[in-house]
Amino acid sequence: MKRARFLLGSLSGIAVVANADHVFARALAAAALPGLPGTENRCLVLVNLQGGNDGLNCVVPHGNSDYYRLRPTLAIPQSQVLAIDAQLGFNPLMTSFKGMYDKGLVAVVQGVGYPNPDHSHFRSTEIWQTAAPDRYEHTGWIGRYFDESDLPESNLFNGVSLAPILPEVMVGSKIDVPAIASEAAYGLRIDRNPMQRDEYTALIHDERLPFTSPYLPHVMEIEDRAQRGSEELPKLIGGYTTNASYPATPLGRSLALAAQIIGSNIGTRVIYVQHGSFDTHVNQVAVQNRLLGEFSDAAKAFYDDLAAHGNDTRVLTMTFSEFGRRIEENGSHGTDHGEGSPLFLIGGGVKGGLYGSTPDLSATNMGNVRFTTDFRSVYATVLERWLGRPSAPVLDGTFEQLAIL
Amino acid sequence: MLDARTALLPYEGTLDTRFAAHLLRRAGFGGTPEMVRALVGAAAGNAVEQLVHFPETTAVAAPEDVFDPSTVYEEYGPRGLRALSDDQRRELQKDIRQSEVRSMASLRLWWLNRMLATPAPLQEKMTLFFHGHFTTAAIEKGVSPLMVYNQNQLMRQYALGNLRELTRGLSKDPAMLLYLDNATNVAEHPNENWARELMELFTLGVDRYTEDDVRESARAWTGWRVLRLTGAAYFEPRLHDDGTKAFLGRSGDFDGDDVVNIIFAQPQCARFFAAKLLGLFVYDNPEPELVDGVAALLEKNEYELAPTVSTILRSNVFYSDRAYRALVKSPVELVVGTYATLGVPQVDPSVLPALRSMGQVLFAPPNVAGWPGGENWLTSQMMIARQNFLAGLVNAQIMGASSWLGGVPMDPPDATHALIGALLQDDASPSSYARLKAYLAGDDTSALAMLNGENFQERIHGAAYLTMAMPAFQLE
Repeated sequence: MKRARFLLGSLSGIAVVANADHVFARALAAAALPGLPGTENRCLVLVNLQGGNDGLNCVVPHGNSDYYRLRPTLAIPQSQVLAIDAQLGFNPLMTSFKGMYDKGLVAVVQGVGYPNPDHSHFRSTEIWQTAAPDRYEHTGWIGRYFDESDLPESNLFNGVSLAPILPEVMVGSKIDVPAIASEAAYGLRIDRNPMQRDEYTALIHDERLPFTSPYLPHVMEIEDRAQRGSEELPKLIGGYTTNASYPATPLGRSLALAAQIIGSNIGTRVIYVQHGSFDTHVNQVAVQNRLLGEFSDAAKAFYDDLAAHGNDTRVLTMTFSEFGRRIEENGSHGTDHGEGSPLFLIGGGVKGGLYGSTPDLSATNMGNVRFTTDFRSVYATVLERWLGRPSAPVLDGTFEQLAIL
Repeated sequence: MLDARTALLPYEGTLDTRFAAHLLRRAGFGGTPEMVRALVGAAAGNAVEQLVHFPETTAVAAPEDVFDPSTVYEEYGPRGLRALSDDQRRELQKDIRQSEVRSMASLRLWWLNRMLATPAPLQEKMTLFFHGHFTTAAIEKGVSPLMVYNQNQLMRQYALGNLRELTRGLSKDPAMLLYLDNATNVAEHPNENWARELMELFTLGVDRYTEDDVRESARAWTGWRVLRLTGAAYFEPRLHDDGTKAFLGRSGDFDGDDVVNIIFAQPQCARFFAAKLLGLFVYDNPEPELVDGVAALLEKNEYELAPTVSTILRSNVFYSDRAYRALVKSPVELVVGTYATLGVPQVDPSVLPALRSMGQVLFAPPNVAGWPGGENWLTSQMMIARQNFLAGLVNAQIMGASSWLGGVPMDPPDATHALIGALLQDDASPSSYARLKAYLAGDDTSALAMLNGENFQERIHGAAYLTMAMPAFQLE
């Protein structure tokens, strides 16, 4: 598998801060943004439905006989579909989500994909995250947005990944994004021992080492950020209170933390969370229904939490998945890797409704849903109309915008 | 700059402390200062010889009670299982699941302890490499603890054996058949998952084959099954597509074995594994000439690993500045390596949640691509988990009795040299020596007030942690 060595090349652009004392104060100074007008105060939350979410059992074409013919054991019975209209409806486990759709808070963009689709999880994930289907790009589209923006580099939390591994989408050359699995786990043990903490701070900046290593600058940078972040995060978000009740699922916990970070006004512009795996080659219905139910309930709790704090109109949530799945089911009551699939934009700033062309299940490309909306059109829309930045430098081209925002 | 002509020729020098520790880390999980000293002055070739021709390791105890759900099914019998009500069946599934989760925790501890205690660390290092390369996750998709244990043993058996035969063995391994769905790949409805990953992730790399090759290969692999009641793999000719397949430029009525042979005959396959082995032992992103050199070795040795790995470990490039500390320790390497370096003979069960926070749970890779490694281990969250593990370990009870730390001289300058020498092979700057010495001496009076009641031995442990907190310790 090709895995880009992206971080090393970018390190020269990140200053290693040797003196930790004033950094806390700087982060706080950079943090206060409440009440700012326009796009400066907005936040984007990306939800990666990883593994390849089957679009046809998510936004179900219940008016299409081909769907029922090609999926004898997998098709969602018409009576169970949460109908949007005579043709389409949501998976039966998505009742909370359907409620949000009915209130106009959800835009469904159908048939999203890209030309010459790749069926590998890794390559297609990379394509969605780098927004570069035709080349091997080492930075993510959000990372490049950060590079182009004028966000303060001193803020440790311009972007936050609520996942243990930093996703490629957040990788840029200017802003380093912390990966925070949970608030409790984001604390250094030696923070409780002031003397060791001071020594640690000095020793991790030992710059005259008798060896070189391509990873050394990065290790030092991350040790420094780990220490500063662990010290600052609880102080920055500790004051947030909420009455929202989230489902006790990993996604529920991630979105609860996302709402807390957003509600604490620490200058965070983009948050990444992930959910899955949707890689349902076998016994798809049980697995995907459970995951979609978890997504639906967590998304609703998240929206309600944001709304209760007056943050619902300044937060846009967008889902994505590396591909949809084959139209025809396989012999294992599952589906194999496919192509186009729907994605969702959620929030008070969204013009709710159905967008894009409904998948044509007869005119297909080797049994796949052809893409009808380029995913970079969605990204361009989000960049221009939500984040308020020109999209061409980020996406290396101009893409038609959608009227969803 | 790499000199391609000499890079893979034997290093003529003898091992000093740094190279001895480098070899022990790369060909295993490091060792105590005493083990490092034992290699100092040895010729590289002789040291490597001992590591590559490892002793029989049957003496290492097998894990106790690896859970096998088929024993439960056997107890009930097919008729008994059919007679269960839905509620009873759910209850049974829940019990089985709990037994599997418990069994996996003890299997993880067993393997970590085996890595630590084995007389053949290179065998475990290769097994760990294969586990990340030919990934399988337990419990998911019906992969039982016994199945992953058997797969682990297969990888261990081929640790320095033949790569092609290991791949062939894994293609018929029940855990792999279930994990990548080849157990449900039948002529009428081919499932391409295994066929695709076999080429993309395991042997050739992305873009080295066409979508047609994937489809044709999937046809060749049809017919393999796993009998759920016993967990055994078998071939069912009725479900196999015995028609003609066109695969990687050849055509015939290929089966899976033919597919493996055709793949391993591709020059790209040797280059693919050469780059992987260099990334494991030498450095990431090796130069194309170096990859070609190792690929030629693999081809010459018909994919036998022992001579290939032996050549790499004794080569000039292995003992070059570019290779020294050029890799990031994986969490398992950090954990086992720290125990091994400190000389603590058994890992504490608390390492399991610690490894989870660091991002590496054995037998549960994030996806079929395994752990991406390298800079992917370096997020602030994972670094916090790494540091907390190290700080927790030196303060644990377990450290008192067994480690050489108890024998560090009770004198700040001597103790400083002992710690930085043993833990970092002196890879620290003069100012770090000075700071550590001041810490040991309690020079900072305001800090001394914080250390109310602390004795020197406890301060040694604090200094040991601070030494391990230095950046060099994160590098392999």
